Amino acid sequence: MPRSPENTWTPVALSRDIPAGTAAPGHSGGRDLAIWRSASGRIAAWDDRCPHRGMRLSHGFVRGEALSCIYHGWSYDQAGRCRRIPAHPELAPPDTICVPGFAAAESAGVIWVADGPQASGPVPGFPGLTALRVLEFRAGPDAVAAHLGQAGGRVLRLALAGQDCLLLVQSRSGGACSGVYLLVPEGIGAPQRKALSRAAETLRRACEAATATGVST
Amino acid sequence: MTATPNPMRDHWYPVGLLSRLSGQGRQTRLFDQPITVASGADGHAIVRDEAGRALPVIERFGHVWTSTGQPARDLFTIPEADQPGRHLVDVGVVRVRCSPLRAVENFLDIAHFPFVHTDVLGAEPHTEVERYKVEIREDSDEVWATKVRFFQPQAAHSAQGGIVTDYMYRVPAPTCSVLYKTCPPRPGEWDVITLFVQPLTETLCDVWPWMALFDDTSTTTDLIHFQQMIFLQDRSILENQIPALLPLDPGMEAPTRADMTSVAYRRWLKRHGFTYGAQLVAA
Repeated sequence: MPRSPENTWTPVALSRDIPAGTAAPGHSGGRDLAIWRSASGRIAAWDDRCPHRGMRLSHGFVRGEALSCIYHGWSYDQAGRCRRIPAHPELAPPDTICVPGFAAAESAGVIWVADGPQASGPVPGFPGLTALRVLEFRAGPDAVAAHLGQAGGRVLRLALAGQDCLLLVQSRSGGACSGVYLLVPEGIGAPQRKALSRAAETLRRACEAATATGVST
Repeated sequence: MTATPNPMRDHWYPVGLLSRLSGQGRQTRLFDQPITVASGADGHAIVRDEAGRALPVIERFGHVWTSTGQPARDLFTIPEADQPGRHLVDVGVVRVRCSPLRAVENFLDIAHFPFVHTDVLGAEPHTEVERYKVEIREDSDEVWATKVRFFQPQAAHSAQGGIVTDYMYRVPAPTCSVLYKTCPPRPGEWDVITLFVQPLTETLCDVWPWMALFDDTSTTTDLIHFQQMIFLQDRSILENQIPALLPLDPGMEAPTRADMTSVAYRRWLKRHGFTYGAQLVAA
């Protein structure tokens, strides 16, 4: 059975949290990722480990279209191939030195990562919506869905502060917590965004209280 | 842990500063075992295990050394450190959430200087590591790297501007390394900087750097601050390497010619079965 896009693609960060020329850690399916954006704006998600000495590449630095490891400056191109070893400037690194990557794409202000180098379907689209923020709920994804009166699922529609919104719910900490991406209508003003942000926090507290007392689980 | 043989236990390990001994003692660990380091009535160090058994003690290089095994030989010596006129510096302790072996390996590495100790021990574009000599000396059973040269913007607290620094590295014990490097105020002599690592667990260690320098101008505080800065920069690397245990089998990592000292150190560890803090199988 073909998997739904929601299962293939995982939200790992907000687009604006990884500006051009930066790298940051992310997690998907129990895997540690280095998520980075090149100077020209291309997003990539790799195994968070330099093949040289195992240093986390999410601590690395971006120059132009390459990510370099912070430990010894080994530099990797967009395809994850090592292109430069500063200790041996004259050496052309062998093609065998490369970092496994995962397909990455952006939609609705969210960075999505596939579970392999190629995605099995298009990145989910949410026309008219854009990400406002990510919240950490001390409640598992099923508890979040149950609290909203929905029968599970990781994409939950709801009305929040008078707006039609959407929650993308990611399992964290082995299902004990959730990373909740709040998608709100594009083009709304600052007061509405502030109200939505507060409403999301209220929702988080209510959901956590319900989970703690076992009401919704 | 006690079920598997651990030949590393039959060596000496630093467990505290001689200058900080107290009557009531300090609780610490060695190879997962709780130990207490205290000063006795005569002012000398006493180390006891959990059962109250007194462990062997050596007082040397500003530190208390002990063993939970049966050391077959004396703690190594550093003859250069006995030269008169050297400033002996107890740097203190840096606790690092990493394998004790990874801490030593990082100390043996120069290629990271421009990226981790930027503008201090190295700087781009001076990143090249020239060929140097590495050997396992059979007579002393030590790993040595000699003829190591590297450009350094500020090689020591006493250095003025960039210089090409000469280095020699020595591994005389499983978790100890001695570095000899160009001494800016006294050409022809070597500064001695050591890394003494106390294995607490396989993935946690206390690092006790110690120095014997020719430096008549810097204060002890300045020298300690300089080394603490360097080791804290290293810590940000050491706590973020995957896997936590040092891989002794090739396959997981990609060494180059600049990593010859690391390769020799790993080979020497494997040869002796010094695998506490290491992994033999590629994960």
